[in-house]
Amino acid sequence: MITPVRTLVAWCPDWPVVATGVPLDEPSAVLLANRVIAASPEARVHGVVRGLRRRAAQARCPELSVHDRDEAKEARLFEPVVAVLDDITPRVEVARPGVCALVSQGPSRYFGGEEVVAGLVRERMVEVVAGRTDVRVGVADGPFAAELVARAADPIRLVPPGTTAEFLAPMNIGVLERPDLADVLCRLGIRTLGAFAQLPATDVLARFGREGQGAHRLASGLDERLPDARQPPVDWSVSAEIDPPADRIDRVAFVARSIADELHRRLGRDGVTCVRVGIRAETEHGEELIRFWRHEGMLSDAAVADRVRWQLDGWLNGSAVSRPSGGITRLALVPDELIAATGRQLGFWGGETEADQRAVRVAARLQGQLGTDAVLVPEFHGGRHCHEQLTLIPTATVELAGRSLDPGDKTAPWPGSLPAPSPTRLLPDPMVVEILDEGGVVIEVTGRGLLSSPPAQLIVKGHRKAVVGWSGPWPIDERWWDVETYRRQARLQLVTADGQALLVVLEAGVWRVTAQWD
Amino acid sequence: MATRHVRNLAVDTLDGPHQAARRAQLELVTDRVTPLTLAREQTLPVHDSLTSLFPDGALRRGTIVGVGGVGATSLALAVAAGPSAAGSWTAFVGGTDIGLVAAGEHGVALERLLVVDPEPSVWSPTVAALIGAVDMIVISPKHRLRERDARRIGSRLRERGSVLVSIGSQWPVGADVQLDIAESQWCGIGVGHGVLQSRKVTITGSGRGAAARLRSLDVLLPGPGGGPRTIATVD
Repeated sequence: MITPVRTLVAWCPDWPVVATGVPLDEPSAVLLANRVIAASPEARVHGVVRGLRRRAAQARCPELSVHDRDEAKEARLFEPVVAVLDDITPRVEVARPGVCALVSQGPSRYFGGEEVVAGLVRERMVEVVAGRTDVRVGVADGPFAAELVARAADPIRLVPPGTTAEFLAPMNIGVLERPDLADVLCRLGIRTLGAFAQLPATDVLARFGREGQGAHRLASGLDERLPDARQPPVDWSVSAEIDPPADRIDRVAFVARSIADELHRRLGRDGVTCVRVGIRAETEHGEELIRFWRHEGMLSDAAVADRVRWQLDGWLNGSAVSRPSGGITRLALVPDELIAATGRQLGFWGGETEADQRAVRVAARLQGQLGTDAVLVPEFHGGRHCHEQLTLIPTATVELAGRSLDPGDKTAPWPGSLPAPSPTRLLPDPMVVEILDEGGVVIEVTGRGLLSSPPAQLIVKGHRKAVVGWSGPWPIDERWWDVETYRRQARLQLVTADGQALLVVLEAGVWRVTAQWD
Repeated sequence: MATRHVRNLAVDTLDGPHQAARRAQLELVTDRVTPLTLAREQTLPVHDSLTSLFPDGALRRGTIVGVGGVGATSLALAVAAGPSAAGSWTAFVGGTDIGLVAAGEHGVALERLLVVDPEPSVWSPTVAALIGAVDMIVISPKHRLRERDARRIGSRLRERGSVLVSIGSQWPVGADVQLDIAESQWCGIGVGHGVLQSRKVTITGSGRGAAARLRSLDVLLPGPGGGPRTIATVD
């Protein structure tokens, strides 16, 4: 059996936190979509862990400073750290900001052993990191295992060739980063990679498809994919001339986007996809910069464009040493480690379908034509009013494909909300109306929450309508602790003679129609 | 006839000089044996309680459904709910005031819903872009639609196979299936007591072609809980 390539992974712990510029001995956390994705060691002492909501994290550690994730900045700050490894090997690849990998075989032969290389890598990186965080180095068979080794290292750890499976065996199944699969396996009583690896590979493939097969191979200490990676012919790279030479990121980013599209199309046409892409830039003074990025989940065109942008940002706005001396004249993407695009098994985990892809494309297209905020999708918000329970947010802020709308705890009981059916039309500008009783007297709601007399007529824009059915009033006294959002209302359902059902709300002595059951 | 061609080709495939002519013949045959689907086979499912309103009992792809009367929005949501629940995407154009909670109660899958509110000047291009990309397009135009645009949208629908549901105003060139709520009666609410629970509606259907036959249906829309409900199943 072919063992994976010996790989050295260097890991800078808490890189997202480091990138915010806050020292690690202060409690701070980095959030993405209101969830903690990284926390400083000081914050972890207080119990701030990944996956926590902002409020929960702040409750555990009140002096916590929270920051939104800025991947571009992370990548930019990581570039000088990776750049120092260029002397050791030209083929350093960045898995994501904070983690980089290199094939250890060549350098270890040159420098005299993996330990020496690992020591050298750490020494160089520690110099640049300059005390902001630590650097851990791990060497094992394959990048997946090597990263886990680096995480377990203190500060350097080498797993001898061929023993990677033993190292992985006691690890929790969660390290595969496939929550759905881990969930199923846990329920089957399989909690460690070792136990998973013992399952027959054919059975895993039969039940869990390609995704399961990949995970099983990783757990067994093999490469995720069968070793059919082919060396691409040279002409699969795409490039674009930039004239006049660009030294600003926005101009290059525009080109990056178009060549990423082009690359994606060209690979798609030949039925292949790449797991690693090299970003190469040439400057007007003849310098050539190249950096490799790896992505386990196959690189989509948007993902490639992002990485190009981050990388260029790192080069152009980096330290004086690594910064190119002139503008960029040529940008190229070199696909590397191509694999046959077997396609993902659509819909197995409720994931992306072909209809999703079409919808994603049209959403992107309309965003381009009408503006980024023009295409909206619903999102649970929580509240007792029907316009609050679900709100519209721009598609740009969510992952459209295979989206699952999870109300979470947002549908938690909201006392005072009205039962289904909910109104089908919510008036954006509530219409002021008058509600009168039999005698033509305007109806009020008393301090005890009762109507002064039964409603009989509704006057909308001067038109008189007879009320044939009504119910309520349901008083609501919301957010009394907050002056700005405090609301005291009484709601009434009305059915008029023409069959219309309306929700009317009394607030500050004025009746308004806020919604309609059309 | 097609069979004979195929047999001839099978016998002497590799015979040299007449290869070009044979290739042409082969192309002719492939054209003839291309699978053909009838329009009525290309349909989208509708909610069980509404099947009798549509010829074939399903939404034919590429058609326009007009809905009108008091309760039109509810009916439009109910029509859109069928395909949406079966995995199609839905787009609301200009319907930012449609109650999303109600849409969910009617059975529209909210995770496969896009809402766009374009200016009147870019309204038609927006709808045109959505056709083919999403299966169900629910529109409630606030402006008057030009007949020319309506025709263009209609032909694009037939070409790409999406279904358009137009709420309120009549579709300028006539909808393929026109559903109107003729009568409606709310249940559950009294004078000073109860709460809106369900609405008994009489829907009349008309249209073009197979849908031209007049038909009518009594149904609860919304039924208890939100979605449409056939009256027989409710006690």
